[in-house]
Amino acid sequence: MWEQVKHALVDSTTRFLTRFASFLPGFAALVVALLVSFVLAWVLASIVRRVLVGVDFDERLERWGYASLAEWSPMNSPTRLVSRSIAVLVILSGFLIGIAAFDFQWTYMFAQSAVAYIPKVLTSLLVLLVGNVLAAFLARSVLIGAVNLNVQYARFLSVGVKWIVIVLAFAMALEHLRIAPGIVELAFGILFGGIVLALSLAVGLNSKDLIAKSVERDVTKATREPVEDPLRHL
Amino acid sequence: MEADSIAQPMEPTADQIDSADLLVAVLGEFDSKGIATMCDAFRTLAAKLRVAVSHEAREESAAPVNAEPTQESASVFFVPSLLAKPSSLATGVQSMSDTYQSVFAAADKLQARGCCIIASKLEAVTPPWALRMAQPLFEGQADLVLPHYARRKFDGLLNASIIAPMTRALYGKRVNNPMGPDFGVSRRLFQRMLTARNGGPVGGNRLHALASLTPTALCQNLQITEVHLGTRSYSPTDWTNMSSVLADVLPPVFLDMERNAACWQRTRFSAPLPAIGEPVFSGPDSATVDIRPMVESFQLGNRELQEIWSLVLPPSTLFELRKLSRLPLEQFRMPDELWVKIVYDFALAHRLRTISRDHLLKSMTPLYLGWVASYANDLLPSGATSPERRLERLSLAYEAGKSHLVSRWRWPDRFNP
Repeated sequence: MWEQVKHALVDSTTRFLTRFASFLPGFAALVVALLVSFVLAWVLASIVRRVLVGVDFDERLERWGYASLAEWSPMNSPTRLVSRSIAVLVILSGFLIGIAAFDFQWTYMFAQSAVAYIPKVLTSLLVLLVGNVLAAFLARSVLIGAVNLNVQYARFLSVGVKWIVIVLAFAMALEHLRIAPGIVELAFGILFGGIVLALSLAVGLNSKDLIAKSVERDVTKATREPVEDPLRHL
Repeated sequence: MEADSIAQPMEPTADQIDSADLLVAVLGEFDSKGIATMCDAFRTLAAKLRVAVSHEAREESAAPVNAEPTQESASVFFVPSLLAKPSSLATGVQSMSDTYQSVFAAADKLQARGCCIIASKLEAVTPPWALRMAQPLFEGQADLVLPHYARRKFDGLLNASIIAPMTRALYGKRVNNPMGPDFGVSRRLFQRMLTARNGGPVGGNRLHALASLTPTALCQNLQITEVHLGTRSYSPTDWTNMSSVLADVLPPVFLDMERNAACWQRTRFSAPLPAIGEPVFSGPDSATVDIRPMVESFQLGNRELQEIWSLVLPPSTLFELRKLSRLPLEQFRMPDELWVKIVYDFALAHRLRTISRDHLLKSMTPLYLGWVASYANDLLPSGATSPERRLERLSLAYEAGKSHLVSRWRWPDRFNP
């Protein structure tokens, strides 16, 4: 019996050592991949940081209406946020490449699905970025247009438009990432519909008196003689 | 034989169309009688001059006016419209600029010594007024003839508040109507305009025939003359579209500033232009305006657009505007120095593209309306001052503020409290 036990122990030890030996090159590859990705991340982050500092990225973001981004950023610097994000992405990529070197099926499948997911993440980030830029632009257009038309609730309209576009962009990004698509669709529909309804009610209720006065003015204007406006601008 | 001064209309012959000494492009609305009167006046120009008149709405059955040239008078004939139709995409000032450019091209094609553009209608039509725009081109060797309209209190406010005084401060010449719209242009000048436009960049900062004509002549030290004319007819104000007017008219003016920066930064003082004719007075003007809507627009803008204005205007200006918005109606007065700083800062922001240019100029509307309200208050019947004196004060403020503009233009990132 002791022979059998000894045999079993030798077998399992051999199997373990064989597996460990086959694991070592993969591990070494992972370490090398991580080291290379750290170096590459550091180089890329430095380059990106210099370029962004050169174009005054932080000041420009503030001017474009993204001052709140600075509050989320390390040391209140969106430049650092961007450069560190790029560094993290590069290190993550190195990690994925490293673990793909292991000859384990599950790591290969994990790496494969993670790598396949990266383009979706990038596209979603792009959708969010474009959505935010568009939201800020449209909000400003609506604000200026409404103020020039003497609309008293101009700021309310502008914020409403901004949030509509941002909610739309978030919903599109989550839909693209396939994160709980059914819930996202429903939540978006309710939220979007709610915002539009709230805006319509606000505009309608606020305009009630305005429309009444406007109709009254039109009626009296028709009966009164026209008075020429002496102001000439051009 | 009956002396028939109104001859049967003659179609111009091929060689008449090929050349002319003067091209008169009538862009304004004139009836056939007005055109005939104008053409009769042109015949009094120097002998043997050939004057081609181009008018879109000319009626075929109308008068002449193709009289035979004589030793004592110039010949005047109509030409089929040589003007290219402006692009359907161009509107407003851009469309007018395209039309002016096509007038220059037509004059160049006719090898004309000068061209005359009549775009506005005077309220009191006097026969020689169009002729007086053309005469200095031949008799005085002028390169550019500008109109000096008789001013009523509230006429041409955009020109009076921004364009004319800024042109005066920048280029050192006291021009009253730098953007016409009536002009007399010599061959030398319109050829330069054609060359600059064709050789310049496409889109964006392209030469603008209407806005760039006067600055081009000023920067190239060409001879400019003003002619006193009567009171001009203006189209009624569309209050819902004020911001579009600003966004349409000011961009070419600000783009010209950018283009001619090397020229205007050198000038220090302003000098008057030679003028022809006696100043025409528009008569008593008791017009009043209700400034309440304009002040309310200004106050609303001050409340809601602070975030946008803070990207363009320094804190001291924003503080002054906040103080101004709290004043009661009868005391509402915007100091000239404040208005000048605002205009210069907006011009600078336009150059730096601090925000979208369209947003920038549209956000200026409440400020402009604030100035108009303040100006109207200054001209109340009870007292104070005539429009000419008031606007002269404004022009002097523009000149005094020029050093601020030059400094910020050269060093836009410098600390600006």
